[in-house]
Amino acid sequence: MSAPRLIWTIPTRGDGKANRGWDPAPALPPSIRDGRIGGPAFTPFDYLHQISRAAELGGLGGVYVPYDPAGEESLVVSGSLGRDSRYLEVIAGFPAGIATPVYAAKVSATLQRAFGGRLSWRLEVDLDERVQRAQGDFVTGADRYARAAEFLTVAKAVWHGQDVDFTGRFYEVVKGGFAGPLAGLPFPTVYLSGTSDEALALSAEHADVHVFDLAPDGDLNQGELDHYVSRLGGRPRLALQASVHAREEAAELTGSAGLHGTYEQVADQIRAYGERGFDTFFLSADPRLEEALRIAQHVRPLLAGRA
Amino acid sequence: MTIDIWWRIGMAGDPSSLRTAHRQSRGDWAPPGPDSITPGTRDGEPDGYGLLDYLVETARAAEGLGFHGGLLPSFPGTDDPWAVASALARATKTYKFMIAFQPGFLSPVQAARMTASLHRASAGRVAYNIITGGGGPPQLWWGDKVAHDDRYARTSEFLDVLRGVWDGGPFDFDGRFYRVRGGGLPGPLAGLPFPEVFFSGSSPAAIEAAGRHADYYLSWLEPLDALRAKFDAVRARSAAPKFAVRVDILARETAEEAWAEIERGWRHVRPEDVRAQLSRDGGDSFGVRRAVGFQPESFTGFRDFEVEPGVFAGLALMRPGPAFGLVGSYEQVAERLDQLIDLGVGALILAGGPHLEEAYRVAEGVLPLLRGRLGDRGPVTLSA
Repeated sequence: MSAPRLIWTIPTRGDGKANRGWDPAPALPPSIRDGRIGGPAFTPFDYLHQISRAAELGGLGGVYVPYDPAGEESLVVSGSLGRDSRYLEVIAGFPAGIATPVYAAKVSATLQRAFGGRLSWRLEVDLDERVQRAQGDFVTGADRYARAAEFLTVAKAVWHGQDVDFTGRFYEVVKGGFAGPLAGLPFPTVYLSGTSDEALALSAEHADVHVFDLAPDGDLNQGELDHYVSRLGGRPRLALQASVHAREEAAELTGSAGLHGTYEQVADQIRAYGERGFDTFFLSADPRLEEALRIAQHVRPLLAGRA
Repeated sequence: MTIDIWWRIGMAGDPSSLRTAHRQSRGDWAPPGPDSITPGTRDGEPDGYGLLDYLVETARAAEGLGFHGGLLPSFPGTDDPWAVASALARATKTYKFMIAFQPGFLSPVQAARMTASLHRASAGRVAYNIITGGGGPPQLWWGDKVAHDDRYARTSEFLDVLRGVWDGGPFDFDGRFYRVRGGGLPGPLAGLPFPEVFFSGSSPAAIEAAGRHADYYLSWLEPLDALRAKFDAVRARSAAPKFAVRVDILARETAEEAWAEIERGWRHVRPEDVRAQLSRDGGDSFGVRRAVGFQPESFTGFRDFEVEPGVFAGLALMRPGPAFGLVGSYEQVAERLDQLIDLGVGALILAGGPHLEEAYRVAEGVLPLLRGRLGDRGPVTLSA
């Protein structure tokens, strides 16, 4: 088994007690001369970059920028973080409703050029319908999976082809297709998730990686997992999404959600999921900067280079 | 009057915490291992990053949090601050570079040129931490054999020459250590704002020279009464400059958590190193000799190095850097910093390891609790 791929989740609405990355950094007390005065404004983005740089310098595999209608826009954040790294896979989360598939592909082709083919898509389908309507998206229920399938079909068609004609339930394209420098780029790696019949069928057709959630209270039932995986048809790779709480000593642990334990225990848990077929782990812990460095320096080395 | 708060940068990298303080796993000053970053490995190959990439992250953290800038220390076992500052200048926006250097190591005209160019690269963000004392084998490692008190005379000349050429000249100088004929910085390099000078040194010769040249008289952290006496001595000998103190900090939500972190780090300290620390004499450095004088006379456990409440003198046994630091809750550490400010301190150079994460911790946990100078807090009634 090769080393598992660790993906670190970017907080699109800030984290920590100062809500870094969302609110402006707090003002200093009046007794301190603020070093920022007189210079260009610092933005919450600077903190998001600190996190992704920590992931990059710490040898993690990638960063995930979730779709969050009440947070920063994920494609913009992805574009910014991708340019500030050489190795990180940058996984942008978004639903099909945000744009036409041609436009989403066009934006993504430019991002692929900007960071040398490290962009991935995590297409979100099963969103809260009230949230969707607030974003102007009224496609509901199982139709969302049908639309996602069309979205991916069209995006891949115009990405790879010329003179693409397409007529479907949701989209129509005439003589589409990218040319010039936009042609010939690697299509973003497609991550999908969900355990409904529709979700698994969509992944079987379109996903490169299917992401399972680790239930907050514990384990993934092996029987159910086997059932879900059998529905994926064998092609998609498997990823696990979990919060992580790792400390040097057991006495320092607080809380018990997600992957948790000493550095060795968390590494063992990840390795055990690796033996069950998971090669990618979407992890998060607050504050994201400090915890990214912790995982990079204390857990990642325990997972590296195991044959 | 407001206080300038600086944040040191780890010029030889950082350990990931005091628990592994013997191993600078960030940067390449320690042998590479699986936990190394900058440089790290990807797929078994070096990832092409270096210590400078980590220093950029630390500097960006400090400036985003509102620190005035960073002290860039200089030792045989660190990268060079002039070179690092020139690289950080383009990667930061408001961060100021307090460059530590000893005048004997480069010509004053060259120092002026380097400073002016760095000012231009950074829109005037250079400050000096001028070190003169020291001594013993480290001084000869640099190839500097000038005697201790002569080094202060040389520093004075060095700064006279530096200021002499700064505005463009022509400048002539005949001194014991330097000669210049028709010197002066050229064209746009000339006449920039002169860097703030932080002047270190605990000896009488140092205090004399500080009076002539320093914007700030800079001291290591010492017990409060000792610092008060030191500052009084400086005030007595010179038109009082401003005062600055370097303070390492280990602060946590509670004092118990802070001391537990010291306790964990102390597990790696070897008893023979403790004995060596307690028996050393400091060479011809006044500052180190003073520090030795504040150490515990006997040793039964790490808390013996708590030389007054919250002031811990054992940090140098746990990691490279100054011996003294403040340990305690955010409130306790803020209270101690306010006491320093009340002594007349106008600039604090804070530090904590690892410098990246601890910049956030100190800025979010400690700094908001600072009250500032006594006189700025409204009327104070003193009873006789």
